[in-house]
Amino acid sequence: MLQKFHQAGRLAKGNRLINEVGPWSCRRSSSLLQLQMHQKMMANCHWQHNRHHSQNSTNGIRGPTSTDLAYFRSVLSRPDRSILTNLSSSQRATPDEESQNKLARYNQDWTSQYHGDSTLVLRPQGTSEVSHILRYCHDNFIGVVPQGGNTGLCGGATPLRDEIILSLEDMKTIYNIDMHSGILTCDAGSILQNLHEYANDHGYLFPLDIGAKGTCQIGGNVSTNAGGQYFFRFGGLHGTVMGLEVVLPDGSVMHLNMEIDKDSGTIKQGSTHRKDNTGYDLKHLFIGAEGTLGIVTKVAMACPALPTSKNATILVCDSYTNVLKVLQTAKDELGEILSAMELMDYNTLQLVQEHGFGDSGSRLLKDMLQSDPTTQHSEVDRPLFLLVETQGSNSDHDASKMDSFLTHLFERDIINNGFLAQDNKQMAEMWNIRESCNPSVARAGCVYKFDVSIPIEDYMDVAWEVERKLLTARNSFHPTVCVWGHIADGNAHINIVTPGKFGKDSVLTKDIEATVYESVMRRNGSISAEHGLGQSKNDYLSHIKEKSVLDMMTKMKALFDPHGIMNPGKFLPRKKI
Amino acid sequence: MRILVPVKRVIDYAIKIRVDPTKGAQGVQLANVKMSMNPFCEIAVEEAIRLKEAGGKAKMKDTEVVAVSIGPKQCSETIRTALAMGADRGIHIETKGDVRGDYIDMQPWGIANLLKGVVEKEDGVDLVILGKQSIDSDCGQTGPLLAGFLNAPQATFAAKVDRDDDGSFTVERETDAGTETIKLNPTSSPAVITCDLRLNTPRYPTMPNIMKAKKKPVQTISLEDMVKELGLNLDDVLAPKNEVVEVYEPPPRKEGEMVESVEELLGKLKEKRLVA
Repeated sequence: MLQKFHQAGRLAKGNRLINEVGPWSCRRSSSLLQLQMHQKMMANCHWQHNRHHSQNSTNGIRGPTSTDLAYFRSVLSRPDRSILTNLSSSQRATPDEESQNKLARYNQDWTSQYHGDSTLVLRPQGTSEVSHILRYCHDNFIGVVPQGGNTGLCGGATPLRDEIILSLEDMKTIYNIDMHSGILTCDAGSILQNLHEYANDHGYLFPLDIGAKGTCQIGGNVSTNAGGQYFFRFGGLHGTVMGLEVVLPDGSVMHLNMEIDKDSGTIKQGSTHRKDNTGYDLKHLFIGAEGTLGIVTKVAMACPALPTSKNATILVCDSYTNVLKVLQTAKDELGEILSAMELMDYNTLQLVQEHGFGDSGSRLLKDMLQSDPTTQHSEVDRPLFLLVETQGSNSDHDASKMDSFLTHLFERDIINNGFLAQDNKQMAEMWNIRESCNPSVARAGCVYKFDVSIPIEDYMDVAWEVERKLLTARNSFHPTVCVWGHIADGNAHINIVTPGKFGKDSVLTKDIEATVYESVMRRNGSISAEHGLGQSKNDYLSHIKEKSVLDMMTKMKALFDPHGIMNPGKFLPRKKI
Repeated sequence: MRILVPVKRVIDYAIKIRVDPTKGAQGVQLANVKMSMNPFCEIAVEEAIRLKEAGGKAKMKDTEVVAVSIGPKQCSETIRTALAMGADRGIHIETKGDVRGDYIDMQPWGIANLLKGVVEKEDGVDLVILGKQSIDSDCGQTGPLLAGFLNAPQATFAAKVDRDDDGSFTVERETDAGTETIKLNPTSSPAVITCDLRLNTPRYPTMPNIMKAKKKPVQTISLEDMVKELGLNLDDVLAPKNEVVEVYEPPPRKEGEMVESVEELLGKLKEKRLVA
C-alpha cells in the first residue's frame, strides 16, 4: 500500500514533501519499509523541536567560565545586583540551590516549552555596561542571549545551551515625552504597561498594546516587531519607532535618530525627528531582528494624542459570512475611529469561562455565551464573537457613528446580539475577556500554538479544516481548536489544546504542525504573522524565502556580528555542522 | 408600581481627574473628558429593573421604571443608558450649558428639592431608588435629604432589596457593626432606598434593548420651567449651600527606595529615626 504524498504550496521543493494527515491513519498497517521511509521524511522536515542540552560549543561560540565571571565582577558597577550565576567563583566554592533557582526563571520561557542551561545572567545598569559586556563577549567568542520580559512565544529569549543571558530589566528609566511632537523616550527595559501609564498621564497614547503588557519590555517588543491589538489603527513598530540606541556585538554604541548628551548620558531633548531622510534607515534592521544584530538599549516612540472618546462593543454573529459583513460595515460606518477588531470563537470563550481570571466580566461572558443555545452540531454552527473598539476626539461624533453602525447591523440581521459598554469599567471588562483567551487556554491543557496570517475570507476555514482532520485522525486526544485574533489584520491565533492533558505529545505535535502549515501554505499565508521565529520557526525560513533573500540576510548577520555571538541558533536557520 | 430612579452624569470613574491650578475652585476639568453614569446610579437602575422583572414573574401589577436626570443636554445619553438597561421612560431636567453638574453649582439640597417636586408631580411613586453617593462630590446626602422632604421611610447603603406582597420593602443594609435589616412601609409617601456596591452587578445594555430604547419617551423640561412649575425659587435651588474653597490634585506619591539587604534596610530605618 503506497502512501499518498502531497505537494503543498511553496513547500513543494525537491524531496521536502508534506503528508496530509489522512493517510497516516493507515500508517500502522503499512509495511516496515514504508514506515522507515516516512520516518526519514519526517527527519528531513525541519520542524522538529530541537532541544540542545549539551555543553559543547558549536561554531566556535562558548559559554562563560569563572574567569569571565571575575571580569564581569570587576567592570559592573553593582555586581551583587547585576550578576546571577551558578558558576563557582572565589566567593562561592560550589553553586548553591538558591542561585540555581534564581536562574530558573531566565532559563525557561513563558510557554514552558524551551529550557536553556545558562549559568550566568547579567543585568547591566546602563548602556556603557552593555557595551563592556558585549565587547568582552565578542573578543572571547561567548554567546549572548538578550532578554526583556521573557514573554515571547517562540523561545527567542531562551538560550539553546549555556549562552549568557543579558537581561535589560534594570534599565527601565522613562526619560520624557515631548509635548509637541509626542515623542516618548525611554530605556529598553521599560515595561509596556508603565509606558502606557506615563503616556496617559501626559495626555498621550502609547501606540502598542499586547496582552503581555504587564511584563513585556519595549526593547523586546521592538526586537520582535510586536503587533498587538492596535496594529490596525496605528500601524506597526516600523512606523511608530522614531529612533533607537543600539549596542553592536563588538560593543560599539550606535545612535539612530537620537543624540545623547555626552556629559549626562541622557537623550538630548528634540534630537529625535519624525522625518529624517538622511542615509540608510538602519533602525529598521533592528526592529524585528530578535537580538541577532545587536541589543536595543533606548527607544524613541511617536505617540498619538490620547483619545478622549472610547467606545467598545461585543457583537455575536451566527456565521463567518456575517463576521465579514461586520468587518466591512465597521470600515464603512466607523471609518477613521475604528481602532480594534478582535475575533474570538466559541471554543475559546468556553475555556475562558471555565478557567478565566477573576470574576470581572463573568456576567458579561455568561450573557454572551447564552446568546446561542447549545445546540451546535458542527463547527460552522457555533457563534462567533467580535470585540469592536473605537477611539476618537469627540464623544458626540463617535456615539452617533457607533449608533448608526449598530443600527445598520441590527436592522439587516447581521448580528444576533450585541453588548455596548457604557463606561470605562465595562470596556475594561470586555478587553479582559479578550486578554484572558491566551492564559485561559494555557490553563486548560497543553497548547499547540500557531500564529498565522491568512487571507481574511479564509480565516475560519483553516481552523475548521484542521479541526476536522484532527478529529478523524486522532480520536484518543480530542484536541479542541480555539481561534482568536486580530481579524482586521488577517491574523489568526490558532491554539489547539488537549484539555486536561499537560504533557506535549511529540507525535501529535507533528500531526498538528503538518496539518496547520499545509492548510496555511495552500492559501499562501504566513506561518508567523507576529510572534516571530525565535528557535521554533527559524529553520522553516529556508523553505519559504528565496535563496537570494536568505543569502542577503546571512551576509547582513555576518556584517553586524562577525563572531556570531548574538543569540546564536535563533532567527536565521541553524547552521549545519 | 412606579419606581423613580434619579441618575447622575459624572466623569467616568476610571479617568484620571485633572485639575487646572489657575481656575481655583472651578479647577476640575470637565471639558472633553469622558462622562458616564455614576456607578451607584447604575446599580440603582439595575435594582429597579430587577424589581420590575420580579413583579412581572409574580404577576403583580405592571411596574413602570422612570429615570430622572438633572443636567446639561448630554444627560439625555445617561437617560438613554437607563432606558437601554430596561427603564420605561425618562425625565430630563435640562440645565444651561454654563451650570456645572458637579458639586460646584448643583448640590444635594437643590437636587433633592427638584426630585421632591418630580415625585409629587408624577403621583403614585412607590419607590425612589438612588445611588448612595455620586463619585464626584461623594456627599451621600441627596437620598436622605429627599426622604426628609417627603417625610418618607428610608434605608441607605442597601445590599439587598426585596419587595413583599403587602407592598413594603425589606432592605438589608451594611453598617460597620454588621448587616441591619429594615422593613420600609410606604403609606402616604414612597420609600427611599440608596444603593451600595454589593447590591448587584449592573447588566450590559444589549442590542435589542438599545434599539428599543430609542423609541422610549423622554420628557425634557428646562430647569427654569421646572422650578416655576414646582413653585420653587431658582436661586434657592441653584445657590450652593456649601462653598468649594480649594481643589487640588493629591501630591504625587514619592517613589520608594529599593534596598539590597537587611543591613541596608536597618541602616535606612535608623537614618530616618524610625527605629532606635
